Amino acid sequence: MQLLQISNVVRRQNKLTTTRTATDFLVYDRTLGVAAMEFRGFYYPVDLAINKEGRIYGLNRSHEGDPRGVRICMFDYDSNYFGAFGSVGEEDGQFTWATSIAIDREGLVYVSDEYTDRISIFDSEGNYLRKWGEHGDMPGQIDGPASMAFDNDDNLLISDHRNNRIQKFTKDGRYVSSFGKEGEGDGEFNLPWGVTVSSSGDLYVVDWRNDRIQRFTSDGEFKSKYCESGSDEGQLNRPASVAVDKSGHMYVADMGNDRVQVFDPDGGFVMTLEGQATVSPWAQEFLDASPTEASARYESDLRVALNARTGGTYEKRSHIEHLFWAPISVKLDLEGKIYVTDRNRHRVQVYRRV
Amino acid sequence: MSLQDIALMAHLMRRAGFGATYQEIHENVSDGYDHTVDHLLDPNVSDGIQQDMLRRYHPDHSGGLGTAGMAFYWLHRMVQTQTPLREKVALFWHHVFATGYGKLAQGRVLMDQVEMFRQHGFGSLKTLLIELSRDPSMIIWLDNQDNHKGAINENYGRELLELFSMGVGNYSEDDIKACAQAFTGWTVSNAKYMKMRADNDSLWPYGRLNLHFEFDEDDHDGSEMTFLNETGVFNGEEVVDIICRQPATANFISRHMYNFFVADEPPVPQWPYREPRDPEAIQILSDAYFESGYNIAEMLRVMFKSEFFKSENVRSEKVKSPAELVAGVLRLTGESRKLTPKLQGDANLLGVMGQQLLNPPSVEGWHTGTEWLDTGNLVERINYAASKFADVNKPGIKEMIGRLAADAGGVATPETLVQDCLDQMGAISLSKTSMDALLNQASKTGKSEIGTDERETDEDILGELLRLVAATPDFQRC
Repeated sequence: MQLLQISNVVRRQNKLTTTRTATDFLVYDRTLGVAAMEFRGFYYPVDLAINKEGRIYGLNRSHEGDPRGVRICMFDYDSNYFGAFGSVGEEDGQFTWATSIAIDREGLVYVSDEYTDRISIFDSEGNYLRKWGEHGDMPGQIDGPASMAFDNDDNLLISDHRNNRIQKFTKDGRYVSSFGKEGEGDGEFNLPWGVTVSSSGDLYVVDWRNDRIQRFTSDGEFKSKYCESGSDEGQLNRPASVAVDKSGHMYVADMGNDRVQVFDPDGGFVMTLEGQATVSPWAQEFLDASPTEASARYESDLRVALNARTGGTYEKRSHIEHLFWAPISVKLDLEGKIYVTDRNRHRVQVYRRV
Repeated sequence: MSLQDIALMAHLMRRAGFGATYQEIHENVSDGYDHTVDHLLDPNVSDGIQQDMLRRYHPDHSGGLGTAGMAFYWLHRMVQTQTPLREKVALFWHHVFATGYGKLAQGRVLMDQVEMFRQHGFGSLKTLLIELSRDPSMIIWLDNQDNHKGAINENYGRELLELFSMGVGNYSEDDIKACAQAFTGWTVSNAKYMKMRADNDSLWPYGRLNLHFEFDEDDHDGSEMTFLNETGVFNGEEVVDIICRQPATANFISRHMYNFFVADEPPVPQWPYREPRDPEAIQILSDAYFESGYNIAEMLRVMFKSEFFKSENVRSEKVKSPAELVAGVLRLTGESRKLTPKLQGDANLLGVMGQQLLNPPSVEGWHTGTEWLDTGNLVERINYAASKFADVNKPGIKEMIGRLAADAGGVATPETLVQDCLDQMGAISLSKTSMDALLNQASKTGKSEIGTDERETDEDILGELLRLVAATPDFQRC
């Protein structure tokens, strides 16, 4: 009976917090996941990929002090869990600093490791198939594959961030082309991170330390750039990821500002998402199984005002659970729903267009 | 540039930081000793830590689930910082105001406390003690969330007087009760839930929830009290003010400072029964405390410029703490200049050597001095230092070897070769036993070919000598 009561309270709270945003452009949809060091759940997730069947592959980087968490967790939008694969290390099928995940047309899963500079390939069930990638700064060599995206020809684009360039490879790892160099000018990068391909074929690159998004043709010719450094609306602070929908709207994980910003196809500011996480089904199961802790939780005010000490390096978001804390990746599913990987909160927040 | 100037500067950099390279020592000597002290104390100098890189590569630097990631982060700071005294002072206060992971079950709130030490650890002791009393990790660590109006919990009040400010014998049991009363209502938000999460080591559902201070006025006992012979209505701030006015506080903080930066003292519980090693030095520091309005930076300035600090009698006298040893080695070898997951192994070894950062053994902190060197720890420490210098391809070692080869100019006697190695390792001095062993080794392998075109031979010879220097007992001291 006590469990049931608690669950009802949670569901009421969830309902209350599912409110429309001011602009009615996007609404919060749901939260997926729960913090977990092994198997089902997330431990410092850094990226996800969604296949045609709607299976989601959540990439957990974990951290050096607790390597248990390194794995890929398979689940779906309805919180069904399909297992996990991968582990920490440098052997086949293992990762040290896992950074990104992508799926090709055949449904094979590609995972990059910015420590070993390798791309590992798995089938859709997580069985290891092969790997490629070689450290270096020559064409076709890699130094820090931070992000990956397949283009419309099913070639793999890699944000080769310590070489400050984007490289294109065939799926089996043959070098095709590259563009970019270190700098602040058009077509130049400072440790680029996220890369994505729009439905029109244009490439969008998150130019991390230049605090901007750059847009290129499919051949790597510079087209335009968006945003500048800062924390005001439309400004970015060390952004990590960008997704572009069919209408050309950009969704940017503005990680340094702990928010997601939405821009129109011309780069005009649309809105900011701060995070609205609610209790996910997996989180609910934990709370149902821990009634004493759940009880204390519901007696608490988790949106309390903060004192002055919580600014700056103290990271305000470490105190407030429902807000984004280091949003690191934004991905879209086939219906256009927006999945934000909320790294330091070990979960995914989902939004959808109105 | 005299050898005495170089030796003194090396001494300063070992105590006010984590040691320095040959190049840093020479640059500082050129700038002058007093100027270097002032520079170390300058709050406007940037630490050079690239927070954005850490946040990108090391999720737990901000997430702070446990102590491992935070130890990584802090060690990285000790190794990479351009303001080493800032980290050293934070480490000093971490020793004095020891707060541990056991009752917190999260690294983040503990690292926030360390950040508070960086921000306030050089200012007024009064401000620092008030911030400490508001610090959420300290509140949970010493149960002040259970310190209520009408039902006081004395833990924090007692330790504030006994271990954090005045020392045993300088207050009464009634003063402890009054002190505790002044801090009733100083708690954390959602105290019940936060304490339960800590007790359960819970990271569910969405990671650790950081704690923050809350003053519950309804739970504060504002009735009149007598504290250290003063009567009135006192909140925590007034109590701290009274504490800071006491000569006992000046002496206690001065002795802590002397113990950490100048020469090893016995453990704190023995202080009421054993005179300070250098009472005159304690008096000089106490005078600086009052003359500066309890300002820690000014006490440090007086200390570093004093004759008792510069004295030959205290040089190479202290046993390095594990953090000092490991950070010092890594600054020399240069192997973690670029962010690497391998640093976690070094951070973990601190615990093996007896100093798990953010998890001191008790509220007394670590016992220092020769207590760092039980048999197992000593072997671990020597093996660590020697093994770190085994790879001549590390950037810092390559630089040292390059300079050694160049300085040798083609021919080197064993004596000059060993002395050059000691200079490169931070101008360290050796006991006669260690020196004889090194000279013996240099005589066997040194030949007279250093600095010729036979680079591989140079690296082998010089690398072996550097490794032997790191393996000496003298290298364990600072």
